Amino acid sequence: MHDYAFFLGCIAPNRYPGCEAAAIKTSKKLGIDLLPLEGASCCPAPGAFGSIDLSIWYAMAARNLVLAEKMKKDIALLCNGCYKSIWEVNHKLKQHDELRDKVNEVLKVIDMEFKGTIDVWHLIELYSDPKIVGVEKVRESVTRPLTGTRVAVHYGCHLLKPKKERHFGDTENPMWIEELVGALGAEPVQYRKKMQCCGAGGGVRGYDIAHSLDITNEKLINLHEAKVDALTEVCPFCQLQFDRGQIEIKEKFGKYWGLPVLHFNELLGLAQGMSPTDLALDLHGVDCTPFLNKIL
Amino acid sequence: MAKAKGYSDPKMEAKLKDRYFYRTDSNAEFSKNVRDISRTISHMCYQCGTCTGSCPSAPRSSYRIRLFMRRNVLGMEEEALTDPDLWLCTTCYSCTDRCPRDIAPTDVIMAMRNLAWKRKIVPVNFLKTVQAIYTTGHGVPNNDVNRAARVRLGMEKEPPTVHRYKEYLPGIQKILDHYGLKDQADKIVAEAEKHA
Repeated sequence: MHDYAFFLGCIAPNRYPGCEAAAIKTSKKLGIDLLPLEGASCCPAPGAFGSIDLSIWYAMAARNLVLAEKMKKDIALLCNGCYKSIWEVNHKLKQHDELRDKVNEVLKVIDMEFKGTIDVWHLIELYSDPKIVGVEKVRESVTRPLTGTRVAVHYGCHLLKPKKERHFGDTENPMWIEELVGALGAEPVQYRKKMQCCGAGGGVRGYDIAHSLDITNEKLINLHEAKVDALTEVCPFCQLQFDRGQIEIKEKFGKYWGLPVLHFNELLGLAQGMSPTDLALDLHGVDCTPFLNKIL
Repeated sequence: MAKAKGYSDPKMEAKLKDRYFYRTDSNAEFSKNVRDISRTISHMCYQCGTCTGSCPSAPRSSYRIRLFMRRNVLGMEEEALTDPDLWLCTTCYSCTDRCPRDIAPTDVIMAMRNLAWKRKIVPVNFLKTVQAIYTTGHGVPNNDVNRAARVRLGMEKEPPTVHRYKEYLPGIQKILDHYGLKDQADKIVAEAEKHA
């Protein structure tokens, strides 16, 4: 069993609790134990906080990192936005002494010190890593294959990009999450502009909602063209934008796409036999029934 | 021996030595600040436009990341920081991945936003997130519908974050107060709401 401190972020526990429940249950079946990271806060939102003052963003993210350092556990998380804050701040503070000194000066106010003793991982990279889980083990854990469904993947931005600071390789047409989707029995589908942003990040969703939804709408047009049954992603903020965003698109642009949007952990939960009620799929803006009818 | 290039006219000579394009409204300090905050070689942009071509915001607005890159090189502080398009970057980092100069235009935008904040130029939604984190520890706090759903799932009403362990909240507030962020946010939001 691999143990990790589970960093929840905001949107998973406070809007899509099914993601949180699914992450804990499905990971356990794959040999990953997710322990609560007590007292964690917002990562904080890289768009909102980073835009105001990067040094506050560093300090706030460092506080969350120190909580895990005290547990002596690596952090695992399920959101790309959190990955940007927690992974990147950890990485930069380890590399640059002058940044670390500045942050520690602030953390001293609350008797904390960033030491740089842990690593940060996105659950999806642990699932794909054969040293921890690997595609084969994911395939073996499936009890209800998603056979006959066409599922597209939205990677999101902050997991893979910027490429030179990350370790995932190609960001123009990566295929490793598709491999995992394939392992669940679904048919992974390619579509135009797969790597385009969901439109929510950088504070744009709050600043100009119509602009932000227009970016989402372009993705939905391309997904519709590829005739997919569902979209899966690894970021609850992207999920919010695609899922509740479709309701807003209907109100603002008059077009309803009705495309079910599921976090990879929810998809994995379904494939491992969890019921839609266990995943609180009723909290989704878009009705998932057409997709569920194909697999249940 | 080769002679160094130069002008006999001292005024021309001064312009030659000025490595920034000469304009009275150009502020060389601005470019330096952007470079320091963004930690990228922002002054090396040669205006190829790959960034704008990669930008999801460009096709649906007047936001042009290449324009901001040029404003940076030329030190056009006023133009850059007062342009409302500054806040249309979704920080998707597509431009950063594709820049042939290995610059991170996304981080240049973030640096400019930081500098705008120093002059109290900031859209209110950014500050509302700050206020939410100050009061609850979360940018997107829990609500009753969600609490009920959590209980249905057999989970605790509040997640094991600062929501459940409230003793951690003062620490978060101390960090934000260290920068005086909450007070400034409150003032600007109150001001904006008065005008609305």
